[in-house]
Amino acid sequence: MKYCSFFWILALPLAAADRVDFDRQVHAILAERCIVCHSQEKRSGGLSLATWRDTLDGGRSGTTVRPGSSATSILIARVTGESQPRMPLGGAPLNDSQIAILKTWIDDGARATPTSAPAKAKWEAPLTLTRPAVSDASIDRFVSDYLAKNSLPQPALVSDTQFARRTYLDVWGLLPTPDQLREFTANTDPDKRSKLISALLGNNRNYAENWITFWNDLLRNDEGVNYYSETASRKSITPWLLGALESNMPYDRFVSSLLNPKAPTDPEGFLIGVNWRGVVSVSQTPALQAAQNTAQVFLGINLKCNSCHDSFISHWKLKDAYSLASYFAPEPKLQLYRCDVAQDQFSEPSFLYPELNRAPASSSLADRRAAAAAIFLDPRDGRLARTLVNRIWERLLGHGIVENSDEMDGEPWSPELLDWLASDFVDHGYDLKQLIATILESRAYQAVAVAHKANEPTHTYRGPEVRRLTAEQFADAVGSITGDWHVYQPSGGKPGEYSREWHVAANPLTRALGRPIRDQVYSTRDTQATTLQALELVNGETLTHWLSRGAKKMLGELPPDPGSAYDLPYSVKNGPQEFDIDVSKADKIWLIVKDNGSYSPEKVQAFWQLGSDAVRQVKTPSVTVLDIKGKGFTNLHGKVGIENKEVTSDINPQVRFFVFETEPNMERLTHVAPALPVEAGPVLKTPEEIVNRVYWHALGRAPSPSERALAVKTMAGHSATGLADLLWAVMMKPEFQLIY
Amino acid sequence: MDITKINRRSFVGTTAAGTLAALMGRDPEVVKAAAPAATADAIIVLWMGGGMAQTETWDPKRYTPFAPGVRTEQVLSTFPAIDTAVDNIKISQGLERVAEVMDRAALIRTFQAADLGFILHSRHQYHWHTGYIPPQSLAMPHLGAVIAKTLGPRNPTVPPFVAIGQNLEIGAESPALKSFHTAGFLGTEYGPFLIADPQDAASAVRPPAEVGDARFKSRRKLYEGLLAQEPVYQYAGDFQREALIRSLDAADRLLTSPSAKAFDLSLEPKKSFDVYNNSRFGQGCLLARRLVEAGARYIEVTTEYIPFRYWDSHESGHERAAAMKAEIDAPVAQLILDLEERGLLNRTLVVLASEFGRDAITEGKVGKEVKDQAQTPDVMTLPKHYGMHRHFTAAGAVVMFGGGIKRGMVYGKTADERPCTTIENPVPMEDLHATMYRALGIAPDTAFMVEKRPVYVTKEGKGKPIHELFA
Repeated sequence: MKYCSFFWILALPLAAADRVDFDRQVHAILAERCIVCHSQEKRSGGLSLATWRDTLDGGRSGTTVRPGSSATSILIARVTGESQPRMPLGGAPLNDSQIAILKTWIDDGARATPTSAPAKAKWEAPLTLTRPAVSDASIDRFVSDYLAKNSLPQPALVSDTQFARRTYLDVWGLLPTPDQLREFTANTDPDKRSKLISALLGNNRNYAENWITFWNDLLRNDEGVNYYSETASRKSITPWLLGALESNMPYDRFVSSLLNPKAPTDPEGFLIGVNWRGVVSVSQTPALQAAQNTAQVFLGINLKCNSCHDSFISHWKLKDAYSLASYFAPEPKLQLYRCDVAQDQFSEPSFLYPELNRAPASSSLADRRAAAAAIFLDPRDGRLARTLVNRIWERLLGHGIVENSDEMDGEPWSPELLDWLASDFVDHGYDLKQLIATILESRAYQAVAVAHKANEPTHTYRGPEVRRLTAEQFADAVGSITGDWHVYQPSGGKPGEYSREWHVAANPLTRALGRPIRDQVYSTRDTQATTLQALELVNGETLTHWLSRGAKKMLGELPPDPGSAYDLPYSVKNGPQEFDIDVSKADKIWLIVKDNGSYSPEKVQAFWQLGSDAVRQVKTPSVTVLDIKGKGFTNLHGKVGIENKEVTSDINPQVRFFVFETEPNMERLTHVAPALPVEAGPVLKTPEEIVNRVYWHALGRAPSPSERALAVKTMAGHSATGLADLLWAVMMKPEFQLIY
Repeated sequence: MDITKINRRSFVGTTAAGTLAALMGRDPEVVKAAAPAATADAIIVLWMGGGMAQTETWDPKRYTPFAPGVRTEQVLSTFPAIDTAVDNIKISQGLERVAEVMDRAALIRTFQAADLGFILHSRHQYHWHTGYIPPQSLAMPHLGAVIAKTLGPRNPTVPPFVAIGQNLEIGAESPALKSFHTAGFLGTEYGPFLIADPQDAASAVRPPAEVGDARFKSRRKLYEGLLAQEPVYQYAGDFQREALIRSLDAADRLLTSPSAKAFDLSLEPKKSFDVYNNSRFGQGCLLARRLVEAGARYIEVTTEYIPFRYWDSHESGHERAAAMKAEIDAPVAQLILDLEERGLLNRTLVVLASEFGRDAITEGKVGKEVKDQAQTPDVMTLPKHYGMHRHFTAAGAVVMFGGGIKRGMVYGKTADERPCTTIENPVPMEDLHATMYRALGIAPDTAFMVEKRPVYVTKEGKGKPIHELFA
């Protein structure tokens, strides 16, 4: 039977009385012909047509209904057979009047009821950046537009001290010192905020040592952390990353180096991923991990589900993940595995968006990686810049323009702002510092912060959100306030370095405060306050000990750690070593064996052999003290090492030998270079001085008279313990831990 | 091992993955399937890390004494079997005390570890403790975190999830160990409260030694005073501020509550303490009992996994197994008796398990052998050759006491001749977990919504509890 199809050409919107009624007319069709498969329970193709909301939400293939445009609505394309397979699947097609009802309804705005407003189209993220067509484009212009449209007030600006605290933390990850703060607040230059931003960004070292944490989280990088792998183990990319941040490497070159590491110093470790020894699910082989990580980190796309099977929550298919993985795999052709079952299907390098696809110059790995880098950086790929901009915005204002930087298909609260900022970023040569400066300079950033609202169905921007110090910022605050820092110990017998927290291994304090293990990509950190975290802050060893030392340091009561007269990181290969030390000035000698992680220290046969004495076997670890006062010795010479003939893997001796002529600090045996990450403050004398300094440094303000009275009272008497308690009490305050 | 590292309770609070769930204040939604009625309120896992030789413990086979010249393939067990309190159940010599309480137990002999290729302990341990095989694309939560999150704490002043006995800094496999000692995407609130040394547990819930009780109190008062004297500012009602203050209050309550005394082993009557006091593991069992009494939900006590040590014998297996059995025998038996005496055993599930078993010849499973990691000659000439030195994934033992589990039964059968593979009723990981969850009243297809998709507590939600084990 032949149909003639009607075309309803609408010149004017229909009057309410003439409108198609969704409940009575559209739903009737859907319920009768479609819901058997597209029910809420069954959701074929991820689509439910059970309610008006569901119909507008669409399914895995995207939106089914584009309000106002039946010609581009998948629902119509399916029921007319324009898009195969025709719907209803396996049943008689809809008749002409049914199709006409659907078209009319859509063209008139897909309204929920005849008296409702036209429906809002579901957001579909465009691939390419749209440059807003305004001449006065800026962050503040778009934010103002948004606030006006939503009848929201313009927030006031923060005070100078709040601005300084925020900016120092955001650029350097350090609190401003009292001097820095005083200088800034006293400055009468009307441009001072702008100049501060430039000055802070201009200190490459401080900037890099802050932002490396952000990138370590995203790129799964951590020094000295390996998973036992037979093949390429995870390789640290720290030297490259630190260098890239210090030199403000443009982001396009940054991404290109990560996707296509060519030079020996390039970060190959990123593409290797986290490998465990043995047989691994195909969906987690390095190439698939590379596809997941590159898509997530750089494009805000989740390919995790469809690394195993076609996604149930998005339109991505198994072959999409494999096609991307093919750019990074040893061989270009990958056999597809669905839920670890081999399929008779093979992938080739091909990009997620066909319009950006380009064939590699050859099938070599180098050429495939180069093609991947070129595709990601294609000017038509707006996702690259958008995702990065959203991540940075989220970091600085506490809440992304798109809710979740890992799912950049989400609707931005201001598409114009996002695309303008991304375009501006690209136009400035992918300059990360320039992007940060642009954001920091804006009124939007400098506005008074608002509380985060949990469980908002759609986010309303009202201003920057209150944030929390990261684990590293908290630790670096302890370091900078007290002048006592953790020590980073390079390998190979070099001296230690007082270091910012990012560089040292995670400890219970930083783990409690959110430093992740980095076996996953971390785009954001959990900032929730939990009981276990509080337990660590209240009675954890790490913080207690640190504040105790720190307080002494601030009062000038922390004696310098004595240096050793002899220091031997033992090498089984090199064997026992001879030594000869001048001991003419010593009364006592400490012979120390330090255990650095031997599997079975009780089996390590460490020994000292002094002069012509017999070999003296000692335990690992151990301290032997020799009293040589008045005995007239000038030199101590002998041999030190381990005697084990058979050094089996279950012993794995990791031993370091020291000789000290003054009583050592058992926690600081190795020599540490004197330089500090932040210049130490002056040694403090009076309780008033101390209280003032703690308040100014930790909180950015003077203590009120009643605060001062209470704090000074604590300092009376046992000043070092009083100060440790004061530091603790102040650091527990939300005023300290939160960034307003 | 640096002794200072194992004297402190250390908290491991790794963050949730950078997912939707991790954005401030949002816990993953729990999709609860119809939950069966719980037969247990608390669970103690006695973790025999390193691969416990099942033919030397709970599944004894023909005994061959050591003599130079014995062929390795002849040796199935290096100990004779002994009778237990249950007529048809025999276990290995060296477990005499536990033998007396086997009538409170169900014994599974056919646990099946996964085939993961070249065997790495921590990988199988990750699998055992999360139900998922690493690497995963999400930070998977430990069983304890899942249980703490789904059921909540029993007593709000006792951490719901406590892990005792494992030092996390063990060298090369440390990152692997840490990767599953976490609440993962569930958020740090449900992370493990880690106590590496039980004797030091009391210090975990007392003011730091450096601070002392008096200063602890005065310091807290100073903090409260400073908060009260804070100039009023616009963020007074801020929920983040309130949450931070509340968390410190909760920590303070925990530290000063009567429940904190549960952590102090020195408060246990000496006679009782002495029975447990043969090792850190033994002390850990005592601590576990006290914590169950105080209201913890999930407690794990381990003999500790360190490569090549404890249960992980790559040589001298017989000697090592003897020592390990001596370590666990009295404390495990006493734990069961104590729980029973206190009327807690019926509602406390105790699970003794390991990541896989051991065999003298086969590494892996027959037909799926993997790269060898031991050097046992075909003919034993020295005592160090005598024992089970290879990792065997075709069978493993799990002992379950109390918690509504049927008593005095054996589930599953293994062959009496080499290879001592499972021949009846294999128990894969998801079924073992489903059984444990079932006892606690958690359906095996309970799921958490993470990144818009459900993550099930057993793989794909397909775990099936072993019904024969429920009375």
